[in-house]
Amino acid sequence: MNAFLKISILIIISAVIVFGLILPIPNIPALGDKARVLYFHVPMSWISVIAFFMSMWYSIRYLKTREIDYDIKSFSSAQLGFLFCILATATGSLWAKFNWGSFWNWDPRQTSIFILLLIYGAYFALRSAIDSPEQRAKLSSVYSIIAAVTVPFFVFIMPRIVDSLHPDPIINSQGKINMDTGMLIVFLTSLVGFTLLFLWCLNLKVRTERLSLYNNGGIQD
Amino acid sequence: MSSLYDFLETNSMYIVMLIMLIIWIGIFGFMWRLDKKIKKLEKNTKG
Repeated sequence: MNAFLKISILIIISAVIVFGLILPIPNIPALGDKARVLYFHVPMSWISVIAFFMSMWYSIRYLKTREIDYDIKSFSSAQLGFLFCILATATGSLWAKFNWGSFWNWDPRQTSIFILLLIYGAYFALRSAIDSPEQRAKLSSVYSIIAAVTVPFFVFIMPRIVDSLHPDPIINSQGKINMDTGMLIVFLTSLVGFTLLFLWCLNLKVRTERLSLYNNGGIQD
Repeated sequence: MSSLYDFLETNSMYIVMLIMLIIWIGIFGFMWRLDKKIKKLEKNTKG
């Protein structure tokens, strides 16, 4: 990743922080200024979905080619997806404290993201339990594909078939994004900025894993 | 003490913004340095 892109990431995310907190937003019933969490919480969730699908894609590539580099990419992507999933849970939980009164309410959204974290937690447990790099890459690739298949169900389907207090229907009714123009611009900028940040993180992680493989003769979990 | 409390209360959004910016610039700086160190290691490994 070149210096221009890195500086762009710095500027975009700084702008999101400044304009996301300063630009006035319309009065949304029951949300008010707390709706600003959207600029940070939704991109975290979006990136975790992208990362889990990327992990699946690299797993498929690994199973087809048996090149260890694809396993490194798949593992790194799943690790970052897990990290961003935790960040989505934490930002959502902080918001829930101020809007719903407690950090954790077992709302369908919270329950589904919790199950998703458990599924990917098991992926890392599986990886750390196998010593042989080839066996580990093969089994974890199969697991990553199966795990990614459950992602749309837990992120998009389950919270919509069970009654939830999550404010998603306010901004996304009938499949359309109902958002003030200023808010929409900051939100889309935030999505772009955090996606670029994720790609940079992935690039760093993959290169570190490659160096680790080269120097130690195995991927360190 | 009460004037400090009033200041924090009326400017809370700006204070949150400032703290977030400081944290973000810190994370960015860390990643920038990390990138440089990895590049150096890659050069040494290849060399």
